[in-house]
Amino acid sequence: MAGYLLRRILLAGLMLFGLVCLTFVIANVAPSDPAALAAGPDAGRSQIEQARRDYGLDKPLPEQFLRYVTDLLHGNFGRSVATGRSVGTDLARYFPATLELVIVAMTLGVLLGVPLGVLSALRKDGPIDHATRIFAVSGIALPPFWFGLLLQLGFATWLGLLPTSGRLSVFTEPPDPITGLLLVDSALRGNWALLGEAASYIVLPAIVLSLPCLASILRVNRAEMVEALRMDYVVAARAHGVTPWRIVMVHALKNAMLPTLAIIGLRWGWMMSSTVLVETVFDWPGIGLYAVSSAIAGDFKPVMGVTLIVGLNFMIANLIVDLLYGVLDPRLRRA
Amino acid sequence: MTNDVSRRGLMAGAALLTAGMPGISWAFERDGNRKVLVFSGNQAVPVLDPHVRYDWSTRMIQQSVYDALLKYDGDPPRIIPWLAERYEVSPDGLTYTFHLVGNAKFHNGDPVDAEAVRFSFDRGLKLNAGIAWMFRDFLKPENIVAVDARTVRFTLDRPFAPFISYVPWWYVVNPKQVMANQEGSDLGRKWLTENVAGSGPFKLRRFDGNALVHLDAAADYWKGWPMADGERLSGVIYRIIREAAPRKAALQRREADMITNLTPDDLEQLARVPGVAVESHAGSNTFGIKFNCQQGPTADVNLRKAIAYAFDYDALLTIHNGQAKLQTSPFPQSMAGHIDVPGIPRKDLDKARDYLKRSQYPNGGIELEYVHVQGLESPRRIGLALLDSLRALDIKVNIVGQPWTTMVARGSKPETCPNMISVYVTPVGTDPDTVAYQYHRASWGLYYGMSHYENPEVWRMIDEARGETDNAKRMAMYAEIQRRIVDDQPEVFGMIANGLWGRRDYVRGFVFSPVRFTGEVDPYPLWIAG
Repeated sequence: MAGYLLRRILLAGLMLFGLVCLTFVIANVAPSDPAALAAGPDAGRSQIEQARRDYGLDKPLPEQFLRYVTDLLHGNFGRSVATGRSVGTDLARYFPATLELVIVAMTLGVLLGVPLGVLSALRKDGPIDHATRIFAVSGIALPPFWFGLLLQLGFATWLGLLPTSGRLSVFTEPPDPITGLLLVDSALRGNWALLGEAASYIVLPAIVLSLPCLASILRVNRAEMVEALRMDYVVAARAHGVTPWRIVMVHALKNAMLPTLAIIGLRWGWMMSSTVLVETVFDWPGIGLYAVSSAIAGDFKPVMGVTLIVGLNFMIANLIVDLLYGVLDPRLRRA
Repeated sequence: MTNDVSRRGLMAGAALLTAGMPGISWAFERDGNRKVLVFSGNQAVPVLDPHVRYDWSTRMIQQSVYDALLKYDGDPPRIIPWLAERYEVSPDGLTYTFHLVGNAKFHNGDPVDAEAVRFSFDRGLKLNAGIAWMFRDFLKPENIVAVDARTVRFTLDRPFAPFISYVPWWYVVNPKQVMANQEGSDLGRKWLTENVAGSGPFKLRRFDGNALVHLDAAADYWKGWPMADGERLSGVIYRIIREAAPRKAALQRREADMITNLTPDDLEQLARVPGVAVESHAGSNTFGIKFNCQQGPTADVNLRKAIAYAFDYDALLTIHNGQAKLQTSPFPQSMAGHIDVPGIPRKDLDKARDYLKRSQYPNGGIELEYVHVQGLESPRRIGLALLDSLRALDIKVNIVGQPWTTMVARGSKPETCPNMISVYVTPVGTDPDTVAYQYHRASWGLYYGMSHYENPEVWRMIDEARGETDNAKRMAMYAEIQRRIVDDQPEVFGMIANGLWGRRDYVRGFVFSPVRFTGEVDPYPLWIAG
């Protein structure tokens, strides 16, 4: 098990290095001049050259790459040319907001996706199954920004039930972070009013972010459940008079959860990257919004930083899933 | 960005639907017994340091927390005394002496003295970023002298007539605070990115450049306030809402009291919403289609003229629902020295064909690339109008949307510059040199110099005019410069689009000034009635 874990971690490190190379190349083939961006729109040549020196952009690319990798090893993601701030500090500032959104969205996805999948499988080809199928297909097909705007229009503008965008009201001073997750921090402090406010702001973006994930969990879980319920051991269990509840929840679901777990792992990464769209529509101050603002400004270090963080999330999520596989499936543990 | 069109359509539909709905009203937010005004736009505020960066949103905050020696005010823009109560210029145009008011104080209580002014200009020049380009070729740091506590003297290397027109953008920082927070020899650059050391009407309360900036009105502002004491705001919040639909919704729900970054269509929808007033003012933000004057077919002046005469100028006004004015010169109407250049091209197909015959492409039959900023709807539609207009000359137009940074990078060299690039340019001051210099050799490759316009005679005149101290002579030179530039047609001189804002009708005190960037508002005179 330890050897397996070590191999996986080494592999993840290798993949991460590949990602670093790839993002560096992509950032540098983009036909824009970061020095000109740093110097400002009216800057003359001398200011642009000064900015080029300030940011080390006058060095040859291999040297810049080496410096970037060395910086990364020291936990330093470089400097944004738009703000001059350290990208690492910015990521630390914005990541908790994204993490909170993804956790809430993932919880929604799993808590609704798995039971709905089971229900559809049990009522296969019935009205519930058809309804969830339509729901799932549209959930995957709806473009998140469109769905987001629609929810804003309905729940915020028309009904006035929920706020349009942001993470808190502009008049609310965010508390000093403990974890950086507002829901957790306000609960830890016992500030229930703040908790309520933060919750009302997270509802819409979390729904939009969770929908594609919910839909794919639902579909995969349904398919696996249908398969599992046909298995001999289920028939045997029925013959033995095991209660249907136990058959479904313990025997069938445990087996159906393996592929569902893989989907959850993948979706975690996907969700991280989908925040780019969702956070823009909802002005959610996380790394997705940070990446978009930076990309529009042609500021690539933040975009590279966000890409690495999302990549890292993909890898960690999949690593955890692989380990959980071992827990759920004893055959893998031995292998 | 590929979904841009459908998204825009949807937003327009959404806004139309909402315009018909009864507004859900919230009371404006109070802080104690005073009100807070929420202003919303789409652009972040990456850097607060007034000597490092400016753009519309950034400068809106900078001018709230800092003061300068002089200030731009009103329409037409006037330069009024601010930290300086008066100034003198020596007859040779080399020495400018500013006399400071005696009562100006920084937020921490330190007096705003001549040393602070000297330090600020010195810092701006040494950092060589942001605003430095305005003076760095004319003013050496050592030639700024604090004569006594209330007098500062600038001695220029050679006469530079636009000097005063740029002074309002040089904000004064508190040297003590800045140097106390210096890291290495950065002159406080890192610290001032997110902190303020100013004397302006507002103090910084909260700063998250990607989400919101909260300013508190300084009750004891040294200059006083233009409104009755009871009307003064508690503060102003600049809230960034990137998408237009939620931003409009915020205004309707009174989550925001004033918004910008509106299209003419947005403005029409908002004008129908009860309780909302719209502001539409002729600014100085010119829109032109710049030709590559060095390479490719558009290096031929006759072809450029042919295109300029074939273009349907009325389309510019239609696309902007009439919220625009055609350019009558390379200079915007609000600029000193502007003339209506006689014979500036308007649609005339006979003339267009005439010029085409004299060009290397007498029968057309070529394809030209038109590049606009991706995601901006008006320039895209103007591209379509161009495509339509040039059919008459059998010239095809390939419309390409690219991100701003890519477009500017391509336009920086004649070899990579597209045949035609559409670009909005906002002049930084009211002096005619600000626009004239865009046509100088020194501006080649900058975003407003992407045409790579070449006329050594005009360049010489531009150089001469900036050093001329006799104003009448100088304005005559600019009149000639305008005529010559139009004659060479380095671009299709397009239009000046209005600055557009939507506000709740209880927002008072809004003062428009064409010298401000698109979207930029001076929060100082604003207040909320009722």
